[in-house]
Amino acid sequence: MASTVIGAGITIEGEVTSDEDVVVQGTLRGKLVAKDAVTVEHGGVVEADITSGPVSVAGSVTGNISSNDRVDLQNGAKVVGNVKATRITIADGAQFKGNVDMDV
Amino acid sequence: MARTPGRTNASGEAASTVGRTTRIRGRVTGEGDLLIEGNVEGDITVRGDLTIAEGGRATSTVEASAVTLRGELDGDVRASGAIRIEAGARVRGDMQGESVSLEEGAEFVGRLDAPFDLPAELGGAAETRGRRR
Repeated sequence: MASTVIGAGITIEGEVTSDEDVVVQGTLRGKLVAKDAVTVEHGGVVEADITSGPVSVAGSVTGNISSNDRVDLQNGAKVVGNVKATRITIADGAQFKGNVDMDV
Repeated sequence: MARTPGRTNASGEAASTVGRTTRIRGRVTGEGDLLIEGNVEGDITVRGDLTIAEGGRATSTVEASAVTLRGELDGDVRASGAIRIEAGARVRGDMQGESVSLEEGAEFVGRLDAPFDLPAELGGAAETRGRRR
């Protein structure tokens, strides 16, 4: 159950903070801080730093991702930025440019 | 509710939802319905319906199709469709829409601006425009 959904046609320019899940199907520019999971769906565009719980990306993210849980870059994902997380997967077909910091 | 297929998902929820604990500071633009249960500070311009749910709060200038207010809004509304200010809403701003309704139990401070036809005996503009009802 997603509590906050940025729909496919919607663009947000600014700062989004949430204690709940955030699903991005549209466009978000600015900053995203969530206590729970962030999902960037296929077609979703995030031009922002993400600080959150688990992150799943199938769309495009330009910005640094910092998660206190896992980050999954799925097939079709395009990520430019640094990723900091405890666990990271990069699926076949995901594009990624940046540094990985697994906090070891 | 769903006027155009694709704007709402299978369960009939709005295409975009700002959840209860979510806060947006910035501009929201685009196409599709928007439901605000949380907090938005910034202008909202959508081609779709806007609903501010009970407990939702916006400090925004709003442009949308139909607008339904059950929460708090501080800002002007320009709607191409109907504006409904329902019971429990607290609204401060000028409302401009195809029609504006204000339910008992709503708090409202501002101007209401909805087109209507004057009866013929009060100026007769309606008659000349041929839209007399």
